Amino acid sequence: MTCDSTSPLILVIDDEEALRDGCRQVLEKAGYRVLAAAEGMEGVRLAREHLPDMVFVDLKMPRMSGMEVIEVLSRDIPDMVLVMITGFATIVSAVEALQKGAYDYLPKPFSPDQLRAIVKRGLEHRHLRIEARRLKEEKELLQKNFITFVSHEMRSPLVVIRQYIEALNAVAAEKFDQSVRDIIERCSKRIQGLEEMVEHWLDISKIESGAFVLPNVSIDLSSVISRSLEEMAPLCQKKGIRLETDIPSALPKIKGDTESLVRTITNFIGNAVKFTPEGGKITLTCSHDDCYVRIRIADSGIGIAADKLSLIFEPFYRCAGKNEKYHGSGLGLTFCKKIVEFHKGSIDVSSKEGEGTTFVIAFPIEINSSSLKTDLV
Amino acid sequence: MKKKKILLIDDDQDFLLATKLILEKGGYEVFMAENGKAGVEMWKSVNPDLAIIDMMMETWGEGFSVLNKIRAMEKGKETPLFMLSAVDLQGPYNSFEPPPDFPKVNRVLHKPIKADDLLKYVAEELGGQQ
Repeated sequence: MTCDSTSPLILVIDDEEALRDGCRQVLEKAGYRVLAAAEGMEGVRLAREHLPDMVFVDLKMPRMSGMEVIEVLSRDIPDMVLVMITGFATIVSAVEALQKGAYDYLPKPFSPDQLRAIVKRGLEHRHLRIEARRLKEEKELLQKNFITFVSHEMRSPLVVIRQYIEALNAVAAEKFDQSVRDIIERCSKRIQGLEEMVEHWLDISKIESGAFVLPNVSIDLSSVISRSLEEMAPLCQKKGIRLETDIPSALPKIKGDTESLVRTITNFIGNAVKFTPEGGKITLTCSHDDCYVRIRIADSGIGIAADKLSLIFEPFYRCAGKNEKYHGSGLGLTFCKKIVEFHKGSIDVSSKEGEGTTFVIAFPIEINSSSLKTDLV
Repeated sequence: MKKKKILLIDDDQDFLLATKLILEKGGYEVFMAENGKAGVEMWKSVNPDLAIIDMMMETWGEGFSVLNKIRAMEKGKETPLFMLSAVDLQGPYNSFEPPPDFPKVNRVLHKPIKADDLLKYVAEELGGQQ
């Protein structure tokens, strides 16, 4: 059998010259490349320099012992298959070697067949280990990239359609009949629903995959609420809904991510607007005790039947069935729940059909102690 | 009065066309390039008054490389440049902060852009031609 530079490289570390030569002959004949060292230090040096696939180490050597060599190499060079050669095969030393990272041990004296067999098995083990790690890394990368990929691939067509609608309106709106403009407006609304669905789905996936990290930042919920109110006020006005608020100017700080909380509160208000008839009322109040800040969002809307209340946070569950008037992304409240739970908060909901629904969202107050900082990463 | 020239660089043909329609409605002459290389070539031949460059073309960073190349040219030093992004602030790039020596970007626009906003921003740079 020929051996070239791609054949597996095997290092034999043994102070016994006859054994080194014997191993070399057998292994080279079997097509492997072989390096040999007469003592531990030299062996470690050769291993670091040439990164062999497999190393045989004699347990009993002067100066650096085989056990030390195994310890150093298993720590330094992962995936190198280490086999302990023992002159007096005791279970104790074998177990110790395995604990220190050896793959197996080979008691002296051994036959060429035994040597070839253990080399074959060891190299297979190495190959599987490398392959398993590669697959694991690939899978992790795929998972991580998937979200980024989807965010680009799903958004791109939506962005383009939205841009065409903008172009259509800019270029030709005045030439269209009211009926055509209505169709464009309806398209635009449905696209918006789809955009929201993609956004919510992405956020939920990010949280579920662990890609979303809670920033270790103190935030003031009153600024979060006022940003949400600012965003939703025009919609309320358009629908003739009164928006009453009572928010203390100073609220205890909580830990979290401002942007996702703004979107959460906006979502709750949007939800209330959707299910509240024209001329109705939405009340947003905020209070706190020693442990929690509570945001209460109450509407005078159509309400939710008691038996459906537990389902509203489920993805794509729609209380109103297929009624287009109440169409949304189907993921809005699922998203809200994920974000609130991510902030270690909770949501309480109560409702009466025909009278309205009330959500109470509670967030734990940030504890002002550096010793607890490790709690929230 | 001669129409002002705008160069659009984006690898999405539909986005190019939609944006072109809006800008033409605003009274500009619009040139389109579908990748960074074509964009830089077209920059040299067209010599536009403003360019809008997509940040995320085929490879992440291609937009920035176009930006660098344009800013490195003598006549590209002061031309208003807009960068386009479809990445939300929650995305993986929210930590991106241009280093101090980063070439000047006059405005970062997020896709999709409202027609009115786009024309307003362009007009602000090109002196109110609408």
